[in-house]
Amino acid sequence: MLGVRNATLALSRVNERLFFGVIGFVGVLVVWETTAQLGLYRKSLLSTPSAIWRAALTDFANGSMAPHITTSLSEFAAGFAIAMAVGIPLGLLIGSFRRVDYLFNGLLAGLNATPNVALIPLIILVAGIGYEAKVVVVFLSAFFSVVVTTFTGVSTTAARHLDITRSFGGSRWLAFRTVVLPSTFPFILSGTRIGLGRALVGVVSAEIISANQGLGFYISLYGTFLDTARVMLGIIIFGVFGVVIGEGLRILERRFEVWRPDLHR
Amino acid sequence: MRWYRRNERVVLSVAGVVLFFVVWEIGSAAGFVDKFFFSSPSAIATAGASEVTKARFWDDVRITALELVVGTGASVVLAVPLGIFIGWYRRLSLTFDPWLNFFNALPRVALVPLVVLWFGLDWNMKAVVVFLGGFFAIILPTVEGVRTVERHLLDVSRSFRASSRLIFTSLVIPGTLPFIVSGLRIAIGRVLAGVVIGEFYAQTQGIGVMIYKAEASLQSDRMLFGVLIFTVLGIVLYESVGAAERYFQRWRPVREDEA
Amino acid sequence: MTIDVAREPGQHMALSARGVQMEYRDRQTGHRLLALERVDLDIPDGAFVSLLGPSGCGKSTFLKIVNGLILATAGEIKLHRVAKGREDAMVFQDAALFPWYSVVDNVAYGLVCAGVSRKEARSRAVPYIDLVGLKGFADKYPYQLSGGMQQRANLARALAVDSAILLMDEPFASLDAQTRELMQAELLRIWTAARKTVLFVTHQIDEAVFLSDRVVVMAARPGRVIADIAIDLPRPRSLEMKQTPEFARYEAQIWKLIAHQQPSDTAPVP
Repeated sequence: MLGVRNATLALSRVNERLFFGVIGFVGVLVVWETTAQLGLYRKSLLSTPSAIWRAALTDFANGSMAPHITTSLSEFAAGFAIAMAVGIPLGLLIGSFRRVDYLFNGLLAGLNATPNVALIPLIILVAGIGYEAKVVVVFLSAFFSVVVTTFTGVSTTAARHLDITRSFGGSRWLAFRTVVLPSTFPFILSGTRIGLGRALVGVVSAEIISANQGLGFYISLYGTFLDTARVMLGIIIFGVFGVVIGEGLRILERRFEVWRPDLHR
Repeated sequence: MRWYRRNERVVLSVAGVVLFFVVWEIGSAAGFVDKFFFSSPSAIATAGASEVTKARFWDDVRITALELVVGTGASVVLAVPLGIFIGWYRRLSLTFDPWLNFFNALPRVALVPLVVLWFGLDWNMKAVVVFLGGFFAIILPTVEGVRTVERHLLDVSRSFRASSRLIFTSLVIPGTLPFIVSGLRIAIGRVLAGVVIGEFYAQTQGIGVMIYKAEASLQSDRMLFGVLIFTVLGIVLYESVGAAERYFQRWRPVREDEA
Repeated sequence: MTIDVAREPGQHMALSARGVQMEYRDRQTGHRLLALERVDLDIPDGAFVSLLGPSGCGKSTFLKIVNGLILATAGEIKLHRVAKGREDAMVFQDAALFPWYSVVDNVAYGLVCAGVSRKEARSRAVPYIDLVGLKGFADKYPYQLSGGMQQRANLARALAVDSAILLMDEPFASLDAQTRELMQAELLRIWTAARKTVLFVTHQIDEAVFLSDRVVVMAARPGRVIADIAIDLPRPRSLEMKQTPEFARYEAQIWKLIAHQQPSDTAPVP
């Protein structure tokens, strides 16, 4: 009986969230469209949902959008994959040895405080303005957050958990596999989350500043043509991309972290 | 030796930074770090010393500071009250949820060309970019903070017939402050990135432009001097927010897992 | 200090400690602190012995020294080893399960530490899960268990390695009063079934009297043994026994010992 009541309560909460979410979403679109049609502001400033929709249909149909998206995606994927492949092991290594942790502490704090985008000119200088340069920018953008959160996770492993392994005579390597890794995993995930956001910023920044293909370039190009609908279209695609990544990560979290009660509420 | 053991953390992290600069310096002198790309600490120091004597440099500093102060200030002044307001009304917050999340997931730099369409290439456009970076970083945690004010404490206040005003000042504000501060922490990275991108894109004036032009004229020492300015600024800002965080959370016990 | 492991079977003492001493140096003042002062203790095979005392008397420290988690500054500890497995196993205080492992993996953990393959460790864990009354909960995660059930799993993990002596560090301290009493009775049942030597640390007088053959009373500053009291209550014991005058007499006797012990008092051990 109690279970049933809880279920209906949860359902109505989900419905409430959905209901008001949809109202907010649709409401803004309607206000946006009608105020523009009524001529309350210049359409060139913000375009209109219908104009953006038409631009999307045209550019997706004639295939002029696809190369930009694939370029951005592949830069993003390559840079981010390298950042994970280098950052996670490095973070685990640094975190496992207290003195190494201390040694890198100041350095990583400094690099973390530097806005990554400020390094774009240096990267252009070293790697040019092609694909590789974008991959490097994405890599750098994501790298530090992955390293820093990973080694923070390792170095904050609860002492009482490590004591259990020691008490039963387990080796350091066993403690690493059975205690350090699982307790660091949530940190790695949150590092991934932050890193993904920054990597996306990295792609856009690099493409906006210097590129001849990619979504950032698309936005910047149509910005100079004063084609607001296409600027908005590019922005929206990036936004959708960001939302999809965030949601994907949330699903991953639920899937792999069944032991965390805070994810099951 | 005992002194070292007590201060090992500080000693080693300073040593790490010093070591980094030493290797960089020796490496570029010995040739295994390419001076053309990465310059050397001494060359950067020299470039910096000559830079600070120029009036143009201080104009750049003034412009960047103006953009940062106006943009960040506006984002705090708007995001905090608006966030508290939206968070206080559950249904209102649900209505705004999709848009707030959308803008938060959206890389704000993608808005730069649009902002240029609105404001042109002057300092105020860059201040808007800075504002957009800070605003969403602060408003989301603020809404979250108000929404998650502890239920049982709310019950305590209600059972004592506390006025809404009192509930607000004694419960909602202190409960939300840590969230606002952690929003500020996220905002630092975003406003700095915003000012740099805005300046790179507009190419008018500011430290970012100095970096960009130094790159175009292949002066890697001047370019890295500019980057270091942002690094120092970032460290100072993170440290200040960290200090504020410790101050506002002094009532919060240190969790065992964090110790 | 040394921890010796006697390998010859048939020895009388499961644990024997001589002159175990633990000194700290205060980090601020630099003063020396005596956490434990010359502790001697003998525990015969199969006995249930409690270490009882106020916080700061070093009872948990002593337990960790026996377990090898802390090194004592002086003294000697001899542990009797059974044919196979570890000589001792620890039941930790609250929240000592790995939240990322299910019950069966937590219980199997001690065996995995001893080099048993995960698969075999799991199958060897099952009877102990049943023994502590967690049948049907093997695949649950710690957050899905009540505090009492978590401590049952904690106990099963220590039982599973089949050690000669069980070290229990205030295992019921964070449970509510009813659950604690229930767990005390359960522990006696399991102890009878598993035939272990137990060294049990607690600050609760009634818990110590109810469970033990002997209660070793400790005092703080410096941490030391002030009394060693044999509890001559019949076994098997049930919770009703706590209402008897004999039980109350033991409680009163120990209560007096502890109450008369001023923190700064350095009276010699009786």
